Amino acid sequence: MRESDPSDKELNSENNDLQTENPGSQDVSFAYQQTFDAKQADDGPCSLPSHLSEKELDNNGSSTCDNGVNIESADAQREATGLTTFEFPVPEEGPQTYVKKVKSELEGASDGNQTEYNSDGIEEPDPGDTNANAEHRECSPRVANAQFNSQDKSDPKGNEILEQRDTVVNRSLTAFSSTCNIEPVESSIIRVQSAVENGNMEGHRPYADSEGKIASLSAVDGVAASSNGRESFEEIEVVDSGLVKNGGLLKRDLFLEKQHQSEDDSSESWRKHKKHFFILSHAGKPIYSRYGDEHKLAGFAATLQAIMSFVENGGDRINYVRSGDHQVVFLVKGPVYLVSISSTNEPLRVLRRQLDLLHGQLLLILTRSLEKCFVKNANFDLRPLLGGTENVFSSLIHSFSWNFASFLSSYTCLPLSHTARQAAGAALQDIADKNLLFALLLSDSKVISLVGAQKASLHPDDIFLLSNFVSSSESFRNTESFSPICLPKYNSMTFLYAYIRYLDPDICLILITKNSDAFFHLKDCRARIEGFLMETHVLRDISNSVARGGLRVEELPGGDVSYTSAPRSRRMGDTKDSTITVKLKAGVGGTAGLWHFIYRCVYLDQYVASEFSSPLETPQAKKRLFRAYQSLYASIHGAPTGAHQMQYRRDGNFVLLAWSTSDFEFLAAFDPLAEKSSSITVCNRVCQWVRDMENDLFFIGGSPFNW
Amino acid sequence: MASRKRTLLKIIILGDSGVGKTSLMNQYVNKKFSTQYKATIGADFLTKEVQVDDKLVTMQIWDTAGQERFQSLGVAFYRGADCCVLVYDVNVAKSFENLTNWRDEFLIQASPSDPENFPFMVLGNKIDIDGGNSRVVSEKKAKNWCVSKGDIPYFETSAKEDRNVEVAFQRIAKDALKNQKDEEIYLPDTIDLSSSSTQSSSSCSC
Repeated sequence: MRESDPSDKELNSENNDLQTENPGSQDVSFAYQQTFDAKQADDGPCSLPSHLSEKELDNNGSSTCDNGVNIESADAQREATGLTTFEFPVPEEGPQTYVKKVKSELEGASDGNQTEYNSDGIEEPDPGDTNANAEHRECSPRVANAQFNSQDKSDPKGNEILEQRDTVVNRSLTAFSSTCNIEPVESSIIRVQSAVENGNMEGHRPYADSEGKIASLSAVDGVAASSNGRESFEEIEVVDSGLVKNGGLLKRDLFLEKQHQSEDDSSESWRKHKKHFFILSHAGKPIYSRYGDEHKLAGFAATLQAIMSFVENGGDRINYVRSGDHQVVFLVKGPVYLVSISSTNEPLRVLRRQLDLLHGQLLLILTRSLEKCFVKNANFDLRPLLGGTENVFSSLIHSFSWNFASFLSSYTCLPLSHTARQAAGAALQDIADKNLLFALLLSDSKVISLVGAQKASLHPDDIFLLSNFVSSSESFRNTESFSPICLPKYNSMTFLYAYIRYLDPDICLILITKNSDAFFHLKDCRARIEGFLMETHVLRDISNSVARGGLRVEELPGGDVSYTSAPRSRRMGDTKDSTITVKLKAGVGGTAGLWHFIYRCVYLDQYVASEFSSPLETPQAKKRLFRAYQSLYASIHGAPTGAHQMQYRRDGNFVLLAWSTSDFEFLAAFDPLAEKSSSITVCNRVCQWVRDMENDLFFIGGSPFNW
Repeated sequence: MASRKRTLLKIIILGDSGVGKTSLMNQYVNKKFSTQYKATIGADFLTKEVQVDDKLVTMQIWDTAGQERFQSLGVAFYRGADCCVLVYDVNVAKSFENLTNWRDEFLIQASPSDPENFPFMVLGNKIDIDGGNSRVVSEKKAKNWCVSKGDIPYFETSAKEDRNVEVAFQRIAKDALKNQKDEEIYLPDTIDLSSSSTQSSSSCSC
């Protein structure tokens, strides 16, 4: 269906017209979706095909733009039906009242607490877990006695419904209650006393005692969250003042998280956190908790272990539990158990990847040899080995809310002129010998240049975890250090040794070797590199680039695309002559209302993102967009119904556009009032511009993956 | 990092249903006792911080259900225990006889690395009942059994009257701590760069 010629990847505004002729064309289905922000991609791959969501929204009485409609009629329809919220950011009235109604109905009828427990269900097939794939379980601890009942349910129809429920609110209400007929098979197996009675599942609300209503309610909650933005605001208050500077993790934030050390699972404030992460051993001994003191949380860790081990003993694996707003995601990595409990509405696959990265960070510090300790002694206590690394974990978790690398699995480069980058690469290449495995020049998490030994390649996730490890450890900043590290994607079993030295406050040189006694040799290498960079003024170029900051959408070329807030009839192609060109003032985004974009080059495993600039300056706005990108990205990748390679979504906060090809992936956010045709034109220009600037924006010289 | 020197001990409490496992734990952790019997379902978890000599110890106490039907949970619960506390009711002969089963079952399921020296503890509970007149298992008999199983420390307790509870748990912590392995130097594998197999897959599957 997709055009296979990479050179012809022009995102054509006339798709709208084309589609009238070819309504079945899947890759160009646009949907106006009001409720984007939170929920529709919640289950990971459950974002509906755009055409379906349109249909459903139609059914729900919300107006949508017809697939094949051209610009004029799209605008006309928008005006006629009031789809676009011109009163931005005032939330839509309709969904909210609806939500209230459903909620009050459910709460009124409630007498118990319900948890949805999915043992694999709708998530994409996990290799090596085939036996559990088809199985879908539901579990419902009742709040009164807090028992953990496990019920087997092999209802493929239920799965289907689950996938759809987020967008199809109305339908799931009836459909789910009619399809799910769950009888308890076993009863009273694990007492999840500390989990429920002690209130750790803070999101527990009295729900009606019917599975159908629960599922619907979580969907309804999503609508609520997306329509009023309440969720994200609360969370930001707790954690995220650190988005002020895109790259730099402020010490203040780490300090903020430190403050929570005195909490435990009985404290109100602990339960209010939006996102918890836990690492524990398979014996139930706590290893790490984002909030609270691990020892005080020993009982809670034991509860998690009991639940996970119980399911494991049945030859199954617990993947996640949903309870109201909360998702509990489990990941078993041998003797190490990882759990996240969040009410952030992030897609499941995103949360799972975060747990994966958390595990990777653990391996980076200790290598997989830690598993041997558990084989020898199941009661092994890992905590002492992790002494002093809390910052590494908390900064990693923090970066899950601002660093695109956390979900793109790519790295980004510091923008630098091609010649300067080549010179930096030459400096690194110059010292390459058999001792050296990798040499990296980083500016925070941005790569300036890197060199790998023959055959060795550096995975983007390793770069991400390594740069987090280095930048979150204060002690590296002022001295030259030699530290054992493990690059889990390179070789998770062994320690390598990293020579780390900041050449200036923003530029960090990391030389990685297998020799534990290479410190002095690498120290000499560093002196040579530093001298060379100084001589060739590359160091100055780098500093200038750091000071200049990343790309800003206002500075992008292409100012001749019109942008007006009033909808106007216009056809693609006559932008230049028939409309007034509005040059935007700085401070309201870029051309045609472009606010932000990410361009990911697939074959380089690199991405480039613009800086968050006005009006995305508040932490709330940044985080909202970050989460929206996350969901969008998950939906162009993980959808079980096939990837949606092109998406256009509009809600009260912004217009989002996603475009995925075999060469690149492009995500962009526009002013919610931006016109579709002009935003598409701008996207084409930005993509073209990025390709033109490839040499400056990406590290191309020696792609580490082409050695 | 202040918490670095703290040790966490996983303590499993086993014994027939109704011998007073939960009551003992409640008395120890919460200083509370209730005459009302409430069967434990699966397991309860409590933590208590104690000072043993100069060490700060967090006891993670796993109070398990005594009923037969929960026995299948064994592996999940027993894994990685630092000490196993066996409780019986001095007024019920059967609960004493079953201690052998509980101990064997634990050793099978938990498979500790050094079963010979794994720290157990036996508590004969409910010595307060009827002023001791209704007891059917004598202290001597219990002590003999303990000696025969490798000199397991033995305490007679009353959760109701808080007799010997603190002492017993203090001893549990001490014994479990003693059994902790001296920390070995953490030494992962070394890498041979010349072999090409060191490289794990670097392809991105996202």
